[in-house]
Amino acid sequence: MFAQNGKILRVNLTNKQISTIKTEEYKQWGGGHGIGVAIFFDITKGKNIGAFDDDNVIAIVPGLFSGTLVPAGGRTELVGIQAQSYPYEWFSRSNIGGRLGNMLKFAGFDGVILEGKADGPTWISIIEGDVELKDASHLWGLDTYTTQKVIYKELSHGKGFDNWANTKSGRQTTQKPCVLTIGPAGENRSRIASILTDTGSGFGQGGFGGVWGAKNLKAISVVGTGSIDVADAKALLNARLWAENNYGANCDRPTAHFWQECMTSHFAGHPSRFWAPFDKYRRASGCHSCHLNCRPRTSTALGNDSTCMDSMFYQNWDIRKHGRISENSGKATDLAQQFGINTFELHTMLFYLNTLYNKGILGRGKKINTDLPMDKIGEVELVEDLLHKIAYRKDIGDDLAEGLPRAAERWGRLEEDQETGLLGDMFWGYPAHYDARAEVYWGYASIMSARDVNCHDFNVLSYWMPTVDIKEGRMPLVSAEQVARWIGEIGPYYDPEMVSFSTDNIYSVHMARTTAWLLHYSLFWKQSCGLCDNAFADFINPYRPDCRGLTPEGELKFYQSVTGEELSFDDSMEIGRKILNLDKAIWTLQGRHRETEKFPKYIYTLDAQSAAYLPGRPPIYYMPTMKDGKWEYQNVIPRHISEQEFEEWKTLFYELEGWDPKTGWQTRATLEAMGLKYVADQLNHSRKLP
Amino acid sequence: MTEVNKSVPLSKGYLIVDNKKCTGCCSCMLACSLAHEGRVSFTLSRIQILDDPFRCFPNDIEIVTCHQCEHPECYLACPFPDEAFCIDSNTGVRYINEEHCTGCGLCREACILTPSRISFNHDKNVAIKCDLCQSTPYWDGRGEKVCIQVCPVKAIKFSTTKPVGHEGYNVNLRGDGWAKLGMSTD
Repeated sequence: MFAQNGKILRVNLTNKQISTIKTEEYKQWGGGHGIGVAIFFDITKGKNIGAFDDDNVIAIVPGLFSGTLVPAGGRTELVGIQAQSYPYEWFSRSNIGGRLGNMLKFAGFDGVILEGKADGPTWISIIEGDVELKDASHLWGLDTYTTQKVIYKELSHGKGFDNWANTKSGRQTTQKPCVLTIGPAGENRSRIASILTDTGSGFGQGGFGGVWGAKNLKAISVVGTGSIDVADAKALLNARLWAENNYGANCDRPTAHFWQECMTSHFAGHPSRFWAPFDKYRRASGCHSCHLNCRPRTSTALGNDSTCMDSMFYQNWDIRKHGRISENSGKATDLAQQFGINTFELHTMLFYLNTLYNKGILGRGKKINTDLPMDKIGEVELVEDLLHKIAYRKDIGDDLAEGLPRAAERWGRLEEDQETGLLGDMFWGYPAHYDARAEVYWGYASIMSARDVNCHDFNVLSYWMPTVDIKEGRMPLVSAEQVARWIGEIGPYYDPEMVSFSTDNIYSVHMARTTAWLLHYSLFWKQSCGLCDNAFADFINPYRPDCRGLTPEGELKFYQSVTGEELSFDDSMEIGRKILNLDKAIWTLQGRHRETEKFPKYIYTLDAQSAAYLPGRPPIYYMPTMKDGKWEYQNVIPRHISEQEFEEWKTLFYELEGWDPKTGWQTRATLEAMGLKYVADQLNHSRKLP
Repeated sequence: MTEVNKSVPLSKGYLIVDNKKCTGCCSCMLACSLAHEGRVSFTLSRIQILDDPFRCFPNDIEIVTCHQCEHPECYLACPFPDEAFCIDSNTGVRYINEEHCTGCGLCREACILTPSRISFNHDKNVAIKCDLCQSTPYWDGRGEKVCIQVCPVKAIKFSTTKPVGHEGYNVNLRGDGWAKLGMSTD
């Protein structure tokens, strides 16, 4: 078996038993999410358990391509029952880049399965296949940065890792241990706690830091000096160079497309000015094996390796206070990473708290009584106090540590603030991201899964490219008609109308296909093989004469060179569909039903008024549309989702997936056709088959 | 035993690097290992990247390459010179012939740079080092260097001129394009 070691580490924290699972038994699932969910399904007896239950199983599984040189292909997936979603703690996923996937593979394991709960603070040391559960009493209470440094010191016997370091067996490495750790927020079971490694790589969404805290698990350290075998080394090197030379950005002669610097799916992305922009003396940095190198390193180390929301969540307030993005933004970033708190939640939280403060509802002596110095918003003082309160559950931090919906519920504000949209939640209690009313497939895929789906595949063609170009008075790089033609050439649906976002098409079977495509593609290629969402799928590429991206040709080249197996793109999407069905079965066993798959009310009543990242008046959100056979980019907002038509769309989606439209549940026939009879049997046993 | 003052020809090629341009993605390490060993590994790479994200730029990343030294202490320390540790008569490249290497480690210890530029294949018990891709059984590079080819930001370059001093191997490869991306060029 290529690209895998053949064994997955299984750690029972309750009885301290360490064992392994044969990777071969789960080969059909690829790696990452596929293997993680398959193992979760097999070893979690009752699926309807809470995030903080001892029985919650956490699977951390590198993508199949981790450790292989596939460009932007080294990511790792975590699955388990999440703490963040509201009102249900759905089975969910989170994803990390950085060094973890490579190190774990080189340490001899294809994944780590965590079960049970330790009887006291514990950390796990993995060195070249040797696994040890260690007392973490001295680490408990430390922030994420300090924890890593203490473990570095311990493992290097005080010598550090600036030279060849000896491991236990006498093998040597120049690479620091990769230490995944929670901060105080996780220790105190916050539902918005992250798990971090290095300075900016984290499992952010899902509140899995709190789940680790509930398990008394502080950290996992990995040192690997081994190697990974691939089927065809020459073909892999050639595929990498083919992709990089033909589709990658030329950093010495970059094109000037704004969206290449954003966290959206395109292979030609490059280092970005947007993250930690307060420091002009800087470099770009990249996750292992990545060709994009989207992350910043600064002369003060502030904001090192943090991108996107991690870098941005305080910038707006910083600008309002100081008229520019100052080092305060970088300090806020690092504080959030050190406390181990999900910045996506913090971003929306700051707007929410500030609105309540301005309305006289929140503040000292107010209905929501707090000594948070809201008048200092934009200063480090406010964000540090807020993060401290959340991490240690002090003051209103005890409410906020539960995430915004649960905090609003405690404050008696949930119904009102959800109805007005003030709370800002959009999918299962997660904050708004790309607006479900404009970029509907994003919203649909989020509701049909269990979190903000955060898959940008169609995001360049459906938002960034047309909206930015038209806003700035340019013709979009690629016409709407051309985009549609290309999409129509890609399986398994071969349907150009998948990318028509006109209001009369957003409730159609075409949009059901868009949603299914996004989920199936992401579940296999990104979340199971380990490709980065920032690079894949690649539909539009400014470095090609015809601007066409490398999807699906590139993915297939990588897969074949790594595994030696022929795989058609349509077959790969079928594996993604199968993985979705395993996820879906767990959700159903948790209580998911057609009736629960809904947006918050305001999505059905209030128009989307602005694009998330390009606000202004008039509101613009240019998307490809087709009417009477004519393709064009049209501004689709303001608009909202019709509840009745969304319900009708759900029927189309369920039918497309082979699920029962009345209940939204899977059918035995569909499951058995995919070789999932055992899943159907378990659903039937729980009376969850239609 | 090798004579201490044995004269050796200069290498006709050198890797020069830009530590400020390197992104720490380690693609060069993975590609080096893949091209030479057919397997992907950090430890099997002839080039190493030292990376500490907790440090301030530019002291956070260092590209560690063999300098193809004028006075190669590694070669001179080898008990089996020109059999295990060799100098190519055409290119002057210092390289290790694994078939004759006994894995004694003397070359590793003799390297005057820190970390030692000699890596080690623990499974085969042989020392390994940069051969400027003269022998890449798993890559048909046609004379190209795989680390240079794979580096996405072109932070490594080949030079036929010997850099001055060990500091001379670290150069500025950042131009206007790099500045356009908002990165430092000074």
